[in-house]
Amino acid sequence: MPVPHNRNRSRSAFRLVGILFLVLTATVLLLRAGDNPGVHVPSYVEWTPETIATASSGDAFRGLLLSRHCEHCHGAEGFSQKADTPNLAGMDRLAIWKQLQDFRAGKRVSFPMNPIAQSLSTKDVADVVAYYAKLPVFYDPDDHRAFPEPAPDPVRKGVAWRLINFGDGERGIPPCQACHGPVAYRPGAPALLTQNGPYLLEQLEAFANDKRANDINEAMRTIAQLLTDDERHALAEYYGAGLGMNPGSAVAPR
Amino acid sequence: MNWRKIRTFLITLFVLLLIPATRFYQIDEPILRMFRNPRRVDPFSLHVEGEFVESNLGTEQNSDGSVTVRMIAQQYLFIPHCILVPAGVPVHLRITSPDAVHSLAFLGTDYNVKVTPGAISVAEMQLPRAGEYKTACREFCGAGHYAMRSVVKVVPQEQFPVLQPGERGACAAQ
Repeated sequence: MPVPHNRNRSRSAFRLVGILFLVLTATVLLLRAGDNPGVHVPSYVEWTPETIATASSGDAFRGLLLSRHCEHCHGAEGFSQKADTPNLAGMDRLAIWKQLQDFRAGKRVSFPMNPIAQSLSTKDVADVVAYYAKLPVFYDPDDHRAFPEPAPDPVRKGVAWRLINFGDGERGIPPCQACHGPVAYRPGAPALLTQNGPYLLEQLEAFANDKRANDINEAMRTIAQLLTDDERHALAEYYGAGLGMNPGSAVAPR
Repeated sequence: MNWRKIRTFLITLFVLLLIPATRFYQIDEPILRMFRNPRRVDPFSLHVEGEFVESNLGTEQNSDGSVTVRMIAQQYLFIPHCILVPAGVPVHLRITSPDAVHSLAFLGTDYNVKVTPGAISVAEMQLPRAGEYKTACREFCGAGHYAMRSVVKVVPQEQFPVLQPGERGACAAQ
């Protein structure tokens, strides 16, 4: 004789499973809402070997095709016509890759670059970056570009030269060239040998005022705040003048 | 197919789903953390999660009167660049590095802490006299090693600001 189906028992068991499910969902939602409410993450980029492999695996030819969208501002040769737009020729691929990732995530704010970066896929970013890293820093003298500007006066030049080469040990300011070349590079640090001065000044001031905060572990914010206003201007002018030499004949940044 | 079988099946399914779900939603993190080495951190993700995120660096006031100082030593900076510490109070220093081996030396004292990427270096220290101490990196770490210095401001206990639970002390508050 078959056991009669017990409706009450089945209903209560279903109810039990349902309540368990609801409790689990509520716990998960509470736990997830509770983690790290006020944490400022400067950038989601982590320089693991996998990240570096992804950023370095771009196809430069496909990047050449994609870069037709960039050349209106950044120039056909990677040298821009406006001084407040960065030059990208010969820039280290990890440096541009990190900035594009931060533009995509909204960690660095720029009106034209945020939507442009969001329209690119991860592969597009790696390709564009590979193309610009391959461009030579030997610029065309007939090209309309903002770089280099005339060199600053010798006193300001001396201040900038000392900071770039030796830093200031007393105040704890490391030399610029220890990360930004040509002596040594850190992953994600851009080469500044052929960068526009006004752009550099704008970024240094943004770092000092916490308007730009996408540097990992507060490195550039700390340094920009330690520099005086005069030193920031001197550095930007000296870099904008191609370190006082013709960058066409200088050591190419990687 | 009676109800007992259905019930067994449902409960088994629920339990089997629970196992991947705990991992996926990371509910088991507190349990897994008990079995991990507490001195180990991922050097690549210091700025994204964990103890050494930006807002957690600096001086933290503990309930027993002591303070905890969290720092990052990276090429070629100590972050935060200036730390604020009350005089004559036990200081628990926790410091790690994302890139290379450094060594944090407090000039004028006997304290010198080796910093290794992937591990949290811990030091128990006490600075009895108020004043401004300089620190320097004492392990060659790269091209800018000689300029890798920072400041420790030791203030009398009554001048040290009262910190709220989430708040971190810094030199700017002085």
